[in-house]
Amino acid sequence: MSHSIARAGAAIVLVIGLITVQAQEQLSTGRASRAVVLETSLPAIDRGLRDQDPPRPARTSVESDRLRGGASIVAPQSIIVKFKDGVSPAGAAGATAQISGDVADRSSWANFDIVDIPAGADPESAAAAMRARPDVEYAQPRYRVHAMARPNDSLYPNQWNFPAIDMERAWDIQPGASSDVIVAVLDSGMAFRNITIRYESNRSFQLTERGPTYPALGVVNVPFAAAPELGPSGSPRFVSPRDFIWNDDVPVDLDGHGTHVAGTIGQLTNNGNGTAGMAYNVRLMPVKVIQGVWDEIFGSAPGTDDTVARGIRYAADNGAKVINLSIGREDGGAAPVVTDAIRYAVSRGAFVVVASGNTRADLIQPNQPNRLAQFARDIDGMVAVGAVGRTLDLAYYSTTAPYVELSAPGGDQRQGGTSAGILQQTLDLDLLETYERPVSQYGPPRADSFSYAYFQGTSMAVPHVSGFAALLIQQGITSPAAIEHAMEQFATDKGPPGFDQSFGAGLINPRATLRGLGLAR
Amino acid sequence: MRRSLSIAAVALAAIAVFGTTSALAQSRPRPAAASQSNSVEIGGYAMFGNISFTAADSFDAVTGSPSGPIFGGGARVGLPFGGLFVDVGAWRYRADGERVFVDDGEIFPLGIPVEITITPIELSAGWRFRIRQAPKFTPYAAGGLTILRYQETSDFSTEAEDADDTFNGFHVLGGAEYKITRWLGLAGEASWSTVPDAIGDSGVSAAFDETDLGGITFRAKVTIGR
Repeated sequence: MSHSIARAGAAIVLVIGLITVQAQEQLSTGRASRAVVLETSLPAIDRGLRDQDPPRPARTSVESDRLRGGASIVAPQSIIVKFKDGVSPAGAAGATAQISGDVADRSSWANFDIVDIPAGADPESAAAAMRARPDVEYAQPRYRVHAMARPNDSLYPNQWNFPAIDMERAWDIQPGASSDVIVAVLDSGMAFRNITIRYESNRSFQLTERGPTYPALGVVNVPFAAAPELGPSGSPRFVSPRDFIWNDDVPVDLDGHGTHVAGTIGQLTNNGNGTAGMAYNVRLMPVKVIQGVWDEIFGSAPGTDDTVARGIRYAADNGAKVINLSIGREDGGAAPVVTDAIRYAVSRGAFVVVASGNTRADLIQPNQPNRLAQFARDIDGMVAVGAVGRTLDLAYYSTTAPYVELSAPGGDQRQGGTSAGILQQTLDLDLLETYERPVSQYGPPRADSFSYAYFQGTSMAVPHVSGFAALLIQQGITSPAAIEHAMEQFATDKGPPGFDQSFGAGLINPRATLRGLGLAR
Repeated sequence: MRRSLSIAAVALAAIAVFGTTSALAQSRPRPAAASQSNSVEIGGYAMFGNISFTAADSFDAVTGSPSGPIFGGGARVGLPFGGLFVDVGAWRYRADGERVFVDDGEIFPLGIPVEITITPIELSAGWRFRIRQAPKFTPYAAGGLTILRYQETSDFSTEAEDADDTFNGFHVLGGAEYKITRWLGLAGEASWSTVPDAIGDSGVSAAFDETDLGGITFRAKVTIGR
């Protein structure tokens, strides 16, 4: 009763605050804007375990392009160009004149340029024309990047994934790393802060070609809260937050993917609540580089290769020792801008982990590579990670390719149902994904309500490896290359003997790796 | 360990000096072809010294040093056949270290304590060269079998993950004894031993491709008996 009164009181205060508090910060991305209307929100709501939801597939481009009808894999009217050292601004302008392009002001954490091209021009052709020039190091379209998993549907006994890789004995050796290690989560954002943000929903949309039209919602205030199992809002646990989608320092999560991934890395553990995380004492750096559906509805900039590259450079420059990329794309060509950024991050001492992809079971084009992962074998200090299910067999969706270097639990709900996914706390999808409801029930999302949900995908495998890397760093293996070699040396071989395209060197073995080598044993 | 080395060196030097002094007091000493011992002589000894392992990189990585102190003792029986003797000795090397990861020669200590214990039993046969002009000074040489017990225990290990194995090898040694009194002497000796294929299947020794648990040992002895 008193709890209800308290919540009602808090709600009244919040409403008054919304009415009286002026927008403190106006944030613009050019074509869309959002504003912080209140530096707080109602306390987070924990709606418990969701283990009865039907499984949903691991994410691929098709899943992520629903709002766009799957038509656009690149951001229009611009490409990414890296001019060779020594090329002057005038030289660059002259070069881009060839494609009637203009060099835009250089973005932060970028060693490349975005070149605006005329409406209607083909970004692939424009990039090809620029690549042919001797003064250009690389050029590529701005491919859209998406999350590599799709939430499905909840507490440690439900987390089969940790015993499966002997984590309990690994934690005996290295209990959760420490706040000295920063893990950057480049994703859809993270539920790390209590805040209320005003968005504008100015356009209607269809989720499917013949589906109903969801109307524009106008101005909406969206309440956000820090996920209770990640840490309280304002906690020093969250460092250097950055949003490259909305270009500010409030990378809150409007999707649930990033929060789930962050949970597997660093969910608060041994607190008697909820679920556990791999490296539960690390600090987390939320870096938003991909859109959720709501970001897109609210008109944000897309998350493209250059966005990811900037995020990687930002994370490395701000002290991240592990960079988690549970993201990728299958469409389009290579991603030299991302390759370059990852090489930079590794040179700064950051270990980079990326998802191998979720396309093995794709009916039309199985095993399309994740373009952000396919160069992993060329970089010591970066690993591409495949997924296994509860039986420790390869997950049905996990892309098989020469670049797969390790495997880790990602869940396989085709073998074991909902609870065979990876369980973590994330945003309550019932209150978030209102676009999944009938039009009559469609309304603004809430990002202050949480539940424990099972997700599956190589996205879920990646944070196991990122958390594992944090434990190794804490234990004393600090060089990115050595981290990769240690993981591979002690991996439990799966599939054909030795390295293979399904499991790479095998299933990660944190306990054996952390234990290292004696003289004879 | 350095202290042990110093003590061993001092002992060896003392033996050398005493021996040299004795020798200088004589004109051109020559070792006797063989002593004319017609009785069984029984003696015992305590020893200390230092071993430098053949698997130097492995020991250096785990214990922080490719060598370490040893302590032991044994018994010697002089046989009634000239200078022929047999010897049974045992010593122990024990070191604390930490588990590591080795990547391309770079060593990453992991902070997990490991304890290594090596206990060889050396069965030797050899010859003592009695010098008529310096009866207190007796060089000797010997060789024989080494039976070596290797034990490795680490924190966070199961019994199966620890090591407790016995290996066979052989050794050769040479030294000299100086009799302070009829029953008490000091000796210094050097020994080379090999215990092949004892390590190298896993652990740091596999990373460094080192398989031999032998090494070169310098040791000083306090002897009792004739």
